[in-house]
Amino acid sequence: MKKGLPFSLANAIMKISLISAIIFSCTLCAYSTVTVGQNVYNKEISISVKEQNVRVTLDKIAKAAGVKFSYSPELIQAIRKVTLKEKNKRLSYVLDKLFSSLNIHYSYFNNYIVLNKNTIDKGNGAVLISSSEQVAKVVTGKVTDIKGGVLSGVTIVIKGTSTGVSTDNNGNYSLTIPDDNSVLVFKLLGYIPHEETINGRAVINVILQEESKKLDEVIVVAYGNTTQRANTGALESVKGRDLADIPAAQFTQKIQGKLAGVQINEINGKPGQGMQVSIRGAASLSTSSAPLYVVDGFPVVGDISNINPDEIETITVLKDAAATALYGSRAAFGVVLVTTKTAKPGQTNVTANAYVGTQNVPQKGRPDMMDGEEWAQFKKESYQDLGQPVPAAFQNPSQYGKGYDWYNAMFRSAVISDYSVSLNTNKENISSAVTLGYFRQDGVLLNSYYNRFTLRANNLFKVSKNIKIGLNIAPTYNYDNTPASDGIFYNGGGLINNALLTPPIIPIYNADGSLPISVTTPGVTTFPTPDWVRSIQDTKSKTNTYRLLNNAFVTYEPIEGLVLKSSINVDLGSSAYNYFQPSTAGRAFAAEPSQLTANLSQTNSNYYSWLSENTVSYSKQIKQHKFNLLAGYTAQKFHSTFTNVSGSDYSDDRVQTIDAALVKNNPYSDIEEWSLLSYLTRLDYNYAGKYFFEASLRRDGSSRFGANNKYGNFPAASVGWVASDESFLKDNKYISFLKIRGSYGITGNFNIGNYTQYPTVSAGQNVPFNNNTNSGSAVVGLGNNNLGWEKTGQLDIGLDISFFNNRVNFTYDFYTKKTTNLLYTLPVPQESGFSSFTGNIGAIKFWGHEFALNTNNLVGKFKWNSNFNISFSDNRVLALSNLTNQLFAYTGSAETITQVGGRIGQFYGLKQDGVYVNQADYNSSPKNVNSQVGTIKYKDVNGDGVITYADGPSGDKTILGNPFPTFIFGFTNSFSYQNFDLSIVASGSYGNKVASMSDQGTTNLDGVFNVLKDVQYRWRSASDPGAGKYGKTTASTGDERDQFSSRFVQDGSYVAIKNITLGYSLPVAKMPGVKSIRVYTSVQQAFVFTKYKGSNPEVSTDPNGNPVGSLGQGLDFTAYPVPRTFTLGLNLNLK
Amino acid sequence: MKNKILISVVFLIVLGSCKKDFLNLASPTSLSTPVYFKTQADFESAINGAYAPSRGLYNGNNGAWAMGELRSDNTTYKYNPNDRGTIQAEYVKDFTDQNTNPVPQSKYVIDYTIIARANQVLAPIDAVSFDATEKNNIKGQAYFLRAFAYFDLVQYFGSVPLHLTPVTTLSGTALPLSSIADVYAQIISDAKQAATLLPNKSVQTPGRVTSGSATTLLGNVYIVLKQWANAETTLKSITGYSLMANYADVYDPAQKNNKESIFEIQFKQGTEGFASNFFYTFLVRPISGTEVTAVTGIPENSLTTEGYNIPTPDIIAAYEPGDTRLAASIGYITASGVSYPYIKKYAHTHTLTNNTDDDWPVYRYAEVLLFIAEALNEQNKTSEALTFLNQVRTRAALPNSTASSQSDVRNAIMNERRIELAFENKRWLDLVRTGTAQTVMSAYGAREKANPQAYYFPAGIAPSPSAFTNIRLLFPLPASEAALSPYF
Repeated sequence: MKKGLPFSLANAIMKISLISAIIFSCTLCAYSTVTVGQNVYNKEISISVKEQNVRVTLDKIAKAAGVKFSYSPELIQAIRKVTLKEKNKRLSYVLDKLFSSLNIHYSYFNNYIVLNKNTIDKGNGAVLISSSEQVAKVVTGKVTDIKGGVLSGVTIVIKGTSTGVSTDNNGNYSLTIPDDNSVLVFKLLGYIPHEETINGRAVINVILQEESKKLDEVIVVAYGNTTQRANTGALESVKGRDLADIPAAQFTQKIQGKLAGVQINEINGKPGQGMQVSIRGAASLSTSSAPLYVVDGFPVVGDISNINPDEIETITVLKDAAATALYGSRAAFGVVLVTTKTAKPGQTNVTANAYVGTQNVPQKGRPDMMDGEEWAQFKKESYQDLGQPVPAAFQNPSQYGKGYDWYNAMFRSAVISDYSVSLNTNKENISSAVTLGYFRQDGVLLNSYYNRFTLRANNLFKVSKNIKIGLNIAPTYNYDNTPASDGIFYNGGGLINNALLTPPIIPIYNADGSLPISVTTPGVTTFPTPDWVRSIQDTKSKTNTYRLLNNAFVTYEPIEGLVLKSSINVDLGSSAYNYFQPSTAGRAFAAEPSQLTANLSQTNSNYYSWLSENTVSYSKQIKQHKFNLLAGYTAQKFHSTFTNVSGSDYSDDRVQTIDAALVKNNPYSDIEEWSLLSYLTRLDYNYAGKYFFEASLRRDGSSRFGANNKYGNFPAASVGWVASDESFLKDNKYISFLKIRGSYGITGNFNIGNYTQYPTVSAGQNVPFNNNTNSGSAVVGLGNNNLGWEKTGQLDIGLDISFFNNRVNFTYDFYTKKTTNLLYTLPVPQESGFSSFTGNIGAIKFWGHEFALNTNNLVGKFKWNSNFNISFSDNRVLALSNLTNQLFAYTGSAETITQVGGRIGQFYGLKQDGVYVNQADYNSSPKNVNSQVGTIKYKDVNGDGVITYADGPSGDKTILGNPFPTFIFGFTNSFSYQNFDLSIVASGSYGNKVASMSDQGTTNLDGVFNVLKDVQYRWRSASDPGAGKYGKTTASTGDERDQFSSRFVQDGSYVAIKNITLGYSLPVAKMPGVKSIRVYTSVQQAFVFTKYKGSNPEVSTDPNGNPVGSLGQGLDFTAYPVPRTFTLGLNLNLK
Repeated sequence: MKNKILISVVFLIVLGSCKKDFLNLASPTSLSTPVYFKTQADFESAINGAYAPSRGLYNGNNGAWAMGELRSDNTTYKYNPNDRGTIQAEYVKDFTDQNTNPVPQSKYVIDYTIIARANQVLAPIDAVSFDATEKNNIKGQAYFLRAFAYFDLVQYFGSVPLHLTPVTTLSGTALPLSSIADVYAQIISDAKQAATLLPNKSVQTPGRVTSGSATTLLGNVYIVLKQWANAETTLKSITGYSLMANYADVYDPAQKNNKESIFEIQFKQGTEGFASNFFYTFLVRPISGTEVTAVTGIPENSLTTEGYNIPTPDIIAAYEPGDTRLAASIGYITASGVSYPYIKKYAHTHTLTNNTDDDWPVYRYAEVLLFIAEALNEQNKTSEALTFLNQVRTRAALPNSTASSQSDVRNAIMNERRIELAFENKRWLDLVRTGTAQTVMSAYGAREKANPQAYYFPAGIAPSPSAFTNIRLLFPLPASEAALSPYF
């Protein structure tokens, strides 16, 4: 291979893009073809035949009307001659006229007009006997389901002919048969086809069994398909269409609560952002533990949030090693397979989905801050406690009343809307599915929004009998404005937190309703205080993102069962971030907004990632033995560039380019690359569809690893036994399906920096000597030639069991994983001159239980299905580095500990033990050097008589709680009655703790901020010691605020009613061209039941509002609140 | 069928056609050691990189001033009851600092960064052949920087790990503590090497260390170790330097690396990232932008956190009448409407706020003179000692010292050091090495507690009860290191 793409691949791409351009324009034309449907009878035709036989006449009608007839020529005596002349008459009129004299009855079914001989004369009920022939025998009967409900529309066809009828509204049918030995085939969508040999019977009643759909539906898995029945791994799948009602930009948000073992947290409510997905308690010491996302076979590197959920056909979550095996090298945290929509054979339709809604921040969960009077009182008391004169502003607190609610002023009601149109056609050799989408979400926070335009065209061309070419192209464009709203007050961003902390006695607006630039008020504010409501609106923080996701493949089947497939997948992305803070907008702890503070930051980043895959598979069935062999080779490369320019000091806010900045900072740039080379092979074997065995091996090499350990091997094997097919269970009345499966395999993780294996030399360590700049460099990274794959060995034992003809389906999985060689950027003693070492360190064990129960509770007119899942997971650290058995991780002032024998990422800090209530208490208690009577009292955990803050046994910190839940659950109920449908989705977690780090500001005793109402119960004197939670305002407030203690940690268990949707399907029988119309209304994030005092118990962000890794879970540094959304929606499906 | 087989074969060939290079990707934006340290230019760049961290050692909130000056009786902080968010240095002042305090941690980390970079130069340099003069110069600078950093560590922390070769493995990142004697032995050896290898100031690039810098460092070590004779010989061998006529000019950015300067940390204003900001760090706060502008004359932002390194009433009182150094060292500024003293040595014209051009003086010839005086006096050569002391006094427009007994001269030299080297991070270590820290600081604490408002405390607020109750001479090794090292 030379530079970049190999020659063959480059050629392939060029050719494919040319083809795609042509095909794409063709697919759009294909939709003009006439469609066939129930309204076919209304079609006006002209026909003229003279003394022609019936067969020819029917052919002409068929051609003119674009319909097909199904009949037995003998039965309708098709050789009879007829004469017919009609002009612009409806088809029904023509048929009635033609058949009335011929004693032929017609009905429409399944795109056919089915013709039968009229056996009963409508007029007198006498059986008509034709003069020329013997009367065909008639069979009648009724078709019902197992509960005795009548089934209408069942087709009954005489096997080997096209003759058939369908049952009427009462489930009755009658059919003329040619002879007694005929076999009748009964078919109805959703039921198992049934055959009956007539054997001379005149009445044949049939009971149709409902198809156990779930078991036999095709599920997309790694490099292939399977069914629930045949699959031996732990996986779950959701249909895109089941998610359409949930108003969310990202598909991950839509599957919240639906899948066992998949924890999806909405860590903040930013439009188009904020989802965190963790499969089976996945956690990692220093890397992301997000699953691998594979879109149409392409493991995507870029963002998955800009994929339009309406493009998605199915989402399959692969959980165990067997299921993930072929993505094994990167599958340690599970795999999410996304399959986009393709047109089904024979399908031609247009669907449109739209909703509009409004979002609001729920009242519950808004911080309970002091109002104007309360805060002035708090200030007054602080001065009194200090023994200082009370400034005029605070002498009379009651004058302020409620004051001003700065938090509320940052939010608004906002509109969300989504529009999407799909065109599908599958005709002859071309199949095409095109989806166009536009999503717009204005955020509930001022000046925040997200807009997304998407297009996807999935095309498949059958070039010849054994060659197929597929091409999926999905361009997207999105732009958003995301103010620096999240995070803690002191980190420069944190606009929400800062607004919250603004003294409530300061007006937000000028008397004339305009917004001031600054609300700094001497004697009230301590720091320059911009008007946050103005800052957030005046500051631009916009990102424009373009993306093109392409899959192209060709398959060649030289002999039956042998398929060669070659694919090239390309993901191109580009984003431009533009931040401009004009002279009217300020930030926390910065100077008053001015020309000096006006600043710009512009970042451009581009990436491409390509994947070339070449596989060969061979499947063969010999008697009951079924084999499938797969082997392949893949290569993937990622390349990104990043540049940033920034400057400040703008003389005019209207010119916002770098040229206008008086101070231009050094620009900087970065280039990142990685590559991955893999070989894979898999063998599937099953005997009689009862005994399943699968084994696979993937070998990967990654550029990220050291010379000694570039390659890793990832084997997996699984077995399955469908016990319900064995004779001893086959006729069991209760158990309709039982499968036992087990798997073991090794998966990997390579989420680590691209160049950490190298001892890097950083340029830019420059120095001036006597004002002359000299370039300098230094070794800043500790290399590691042995850096290699993180590996997870996972054992899974599962059980799928269905009862009562699959009305109750239950799945259970137990798994245990052991992750070794953890990729960790370990902090090292800085005496080495380095701060970290990236290596393969330690071992962690994870295990869990997953239960999923799907039941059809009511199946009559009133239908009720429910889906309940619950999953337990836990972990233990087995080993860490040889230098230490404890890891401390800091996120802002929060801290977690990960120690051998314990769980990972446990909150770690001081335990509050009240306050030193009086001198006697102070004298008799262990103290810190900064302790005083009336300050916070911590527990002397190590019993050395003094309170110290160091990590480890020499200090008094201890484990304060587990941010990971004991179990998570989801509960979805769907009801339908006639045309109405209702669904309620709930999800929750139990046992997880949340650290409310916002309290650092909102309980700050310095008196510089507004505080929680709770702070009024602080220590003021020995006789007024308060509630024992907060110390005095007059000394040493720093430790109380900045030392992470048990006071910050709260119970984060919750139950959330995520979505309630009520839909109504309009009767469309009489609407030409319409297949279905459904209108619905939904409420998202309807209710959250939790003891957590903050707004969102799912939160997990760092002091800058960014997502955090496993060692910083459950931290709330003030995040964008999750809005409650009400929507009205429409689903339209045209024939 | 033939075609089918052919196509399949071609397909399979395409499968296996990637080269091994596909997986070898090095960073396009930085080098790595396998291709580095191969040329003279690499080493020139690497030695510059070894100087780079020294700016951080002196500049910013955790700069050397906190442990060298603020800890002593020369300066204090302006207690700010409204912003307790940046008070870590306050604990250093009050002797209530714990091993979690970021100020000593910062010093520890930066010193070791310098050491690692010096080791990185010294280890491979002899294997690469290039111009011997240049090589010696680079090696000399590396030895100096290593000695300098260990000297800083051993004086503030005592026993520390002694890394002398680059760390390349995980297990090599931590070493056992070496005894204070072993650390000093290494410092002396390195400083001697440096003095031999380095060129004189007359030929060295201005701003880089010279043989004079190394000799001064070695002399300083002997002074601390009370090896007075060695100190005398060593320090007397320093030539090529003389006092500036005007004390204030020593600190003038327009006269960087002047004839008195032996070693100064190089800063440069502008947006390259080399600017200093001592003036701003040492301002009393809260202060409005206008009040700062009154001194700097450029647009300024208001500053709201805690003010540090404010001259105490004690140091102001210690200046003798007529001492020209007072006006050069201490000025007055109005903050929130009240006048406070501030350190004026580092107040010079500059263009951008929080971006100054001032270098930090580490060693200058006046100190060498005072060192020689001290070494002589300790050997009872009192009258000779006075000649060196008086050179410094003369420049300050003060009469010759009237001290005559050895102990009086000792006190006179110490007082002279306090004034001459005020706000140059010498005071605390002087108190420690002369064994006076306990007495001086206890007395100081008592004065401050008796009258907090005289030490800039707001009405109603007093120093922490535990302040100055435990005068410790060394700082504890940082907790963050202790948590990672198996040796302490």
